[in-house]
Amino acid sequence: MLKQTYFLSALFAAMILSAGPLYSQSASLIAAGKKEGKAVVYGSLESDTAETAFNAFKKKTGIEVDYWRASATKVMDRALSEYRAGKPLFDIILTNDNPMQIMFKEGLFAKYDSPSAKDFTKESIDPNLGPRYRNVVIGVVYNKDVIKPADAPKSLEDLVKPQYRGKLVMPDPTQHTTTTQWVASLDKLMGKEKADKFIRDLAAQKPILVESLLPAAERVATGETPIAITYVKYVYIFGQRGAPLDYLRLGKFMGDGHYLSLNSKAPHGNAGKVFIDYFLGAENMGMIAKLGEFVNRKGVYPPLPDADKIQFVEMYDLDSKKFAEKKKEYQQIFLH
Amino acid sequence: MSADERALAVEPSLTTAWGRTRLGAFLSQPISWVFLVVGGIIAFLSLYPTFFLFYGSLTDAPLGVPGHFTLQNYVKAYSDPEAYPLLLNSFIFGLGASGLSLVFALTLAWITIRTNAPFRRLFELTAIIPNILPPILVSISWVMLLNPSNGLINALFVKILGLEKGPFNIYSMPGLIFVESLILTPLAFLIVAAALKSMDPSLEESAKTLGSNEFGVMRRVTFPLIRPAILAAGTLNFVRAVESFDTPAIIALPARIEVFTTKIWREALGSFPTNHNLAAAYGVGILAVALVFVYLYRRFTSQVENFSTVTGKGFRPHQIDLGGWRYAATSVALLLLILLVVLPILVLLLVALLPYYHVPTWQTWQRLTLDHFRYVWATPRVHKAFINSLFLALVGATVCMILASLASYITVRTKIAARGVIEGLVFIPWAFPGTAMALGLLWAYVDFPIPIYATIWIILIAYVTRFLPYGLRAVSSTIIQVHKELEEASIVCGAGFMTTFRRVLMPMMRPGVMAGWIILVTIFLREFSATLFLYSPGSEPLGPLLYFLYLDGMRGRVAAIGLVISVISVILIAIAQRYSRWESK
Repeated sequence: MLKQTYFLSALFAAMILSAGPLYSQSASLIAAGKKEGKAVVYGSLESDTAETAFNAFKKKTGIEVDYWRASATKVMDRALSEYRAGKPLFDIILTNDNPMQIMFKEGLFAKYDSPSAKDFTKESIDPNLGPRYRNVVIGVVYNKDVIKPADAPKSLEDLVKPQYRGKLVMPDPTQHTTTTQWVASLDKLMGKEKADKFIRDLAAQKPILVESLLPAAERVATGETPIAITYVKYVYIFGQRGAPLDYLRLGKFMGDGHYLSLNSKAPHGNAGKVFIDYFLGAENMGMIAKLGEFVNRKGVYPPLPDADKIQFVEMYDLDSKKFAEKKKEYQQIFLH
Repeated sequence: MSADERALAVEPSLTTAWGRTRLGAFLSQPISWVFLVVGGIIAFLSLYPTFFLFYGSLTDAPLGVPGHFTLQNYVKAYSDPEAYPLLLNSFIFGLGASGLSLVFALTLAWITIRTNAPFRRLFELTAIIPNILPPILVSISWVMLLNPSNGLINALFVKILGLEKGPFNIYSMPGLIFVESLILTPLAFLIVAAALKSMDPSLEESAKTLGSNEFGVMRRVTFPLIRPAILAAGTLNFVRAVESFDTPAIIALPARIEVFTTKIWREALGSFPTNHNLAAAYGVGILAVALVFVYLYRRFTSQVENFSTVTGKGFRPHQIDLGGWRYAATSVALLLLILLVVLPILVLLLVALLPYYHVPTWQTWQRLTLDHFRYVWATPRVHKAFINSLFLALVGATVCMILASLASYITVRTKIAARGVIEGLVFIPWAFPGTAMALGLLWAYVDFPIPIYATIWIILIAYVTRFLPYGLRAVSSTIIQVHKELEEASIVCGAGFMTTFRRVLMPMMRPGVMAGWIILVTIFLREFSATLFLYSPGSEPLGPLLYFLYLDGMRGRVAAIGLVISVISVILIAIAQRYSRWESK
């Protein structure tokens, strides 16, 4: 018994000693961050999710977050312009993989190894950008009031069957960058030959083309068009408001990753680091998963039926030349 | 030195002396100083950000990165044979939308200003509402009403008439023109209504005395007199339609109709990463077209004396007694108001009261909620955005109209040689696509010696820079109508330029000034394309807030905020219109 008590005491002391430096570092970092007053974040994370995270962060640390929200491309445009002019006002950039990689190459980011990164799987950690904290998953969503689940397509290949002609809406792959990437990456799911045929057959179905993934989901929610290629999370988000949406269980789903990084010339560097630690931490990841996000934490899923069965496949990273080529190619296929 | 050589030697000094005399004479006129100050401010506002865009169009690297001189952006933009049929599509779209908006605006303005049709004041007040709503919301409303699959109007026709499918298809060129024309009508209405208000009725009365009927008076007198205003509204609306992206993105894209702006989006602004150099090269092309239109407009209105209708005599606008036809006139105005205001607002109200938008059924009424309005009421971020936007709208529109009035006076009234340049300068920033210009403004002011970047003042500067043409057009079409005898009388009585401008011209130009002010207030309350790149999180106005909520799929909140903005704007417009009436003086 005594031996056991000694052992437990020693273990406890070891835990305190090993956790001690980490705790004091965090506390001093928080104090330094508080002194700076706020962290400025430029990002494309949806406003409600962002606000939930920022409010909890403020409650926990006392540090305010000023958030500038725009599309991924606009975030990159503003951040690069400010950085090149030598007046970056932001501490953190929080957006998609492709623009993050471009900004990294331009030297916008400082190396910061957050202690929270250790809880992410090895595969989800990018050597330049750190943990891919969430995946944005693209799938096929349909309106259950317009198409009975039994009559709904069962696979991507089913979308090109005659009965679904004119019933599909998708973002224009010649204009919408993420959709260009999605179409260009289809060979990851079905192999090159099948993917090439599928793309041509899909175009022949004359899908209704819209500007981005959200209008596609909205059209399905209103029932204007019954089936959409869009983000799967909209099933949960619109479903919360009463929209009768469901998604096809495709097994493998393609999508993009989201990252956040610290500005190498951050005006509030300490506050920025505190923010990264909190944002990547278990509490925040659990919270934003509950709002419908696919976070990269084992066993943490959004409240969407069968979310745990989704196998995520990351889309190809395309450079600007490849994007231009693909857009031109799809112009011939989809618009002519 | 020969005699010839001596003559040659003397001549430059003579020229210099003559030049000095001319310069002295020029500078001795107060108006010359006004010209220099106003011209200087406008030149700076316009050329400083535009310089960055021009520079960008001639280099192969993004701004801030050392690049090489190149014409490749122009070659790429204009050597593509596919671009030219798209230009034709844009031309048809621009002409159709601008023409139809003029028909709507003229009809509505004539009924509300010149007839005794019942409820005309109410129509006048509400006709401007669509200008308050973000164009994207108006387009979406009409998609909800007229889409072929479950548009509300189509569904109604199918149900009532037992048709197989709805008779209307919004996804077509006529649909595109129709919706854009509704978006453009308020601007045309304000300009034309201001001109109709400022018109001396004695000319029309003379025509009637000489035996002309009401229709003849309208065709031979009224219409030619307001021609500058019609041309002004037509010019503005044509360029506005050609460079618009929102309506084509929502209606033309599903219809597979391509216009020039969708091409610019695909090739430059929507490409990844954004090709600003190419976007700037496209912008320069649009600028050239816009300047041709400015030139044409100036030619049309060069015989300004012909249009002078406001003289020293007191008057009230001529009002036509329509007799029994006045109810028919009210019906026509009501029909236009239903298209312009009632239907889109009803759709917005429905969107604001539903948890998510769907075609209404009986169960819909049980789902109605005030949650979106509660969000507006309870969210400090929304309150702050309202305060910021009201400040920007009221101060920005006032500054803009002061500058526009002085610039308009110089371009229309004076014989200063370079006066045309001012008008050209005003139009330069307006001709670039919104996002490209926003980048030009960002580049221009991010490193400005006075630290105004990311403050509310930079947004104010951006608004004045980009929207000065609206103010200028509105006030120019009125100033053309004011006869010179009034200022001449003032000057003969010993008043200086500023006194004459303030006490004689400003009251006479009041309808145009107030019309311009209203246009600008309503635009500033919802503007986002220039604001997006320039505001800092602490100075967020309503435009970006609406944009983010829209981006996040929160249509209900967007609609609720849109409706609250509409109510505030109507109050502001009612106050402004009270001050714009001649009879209120």
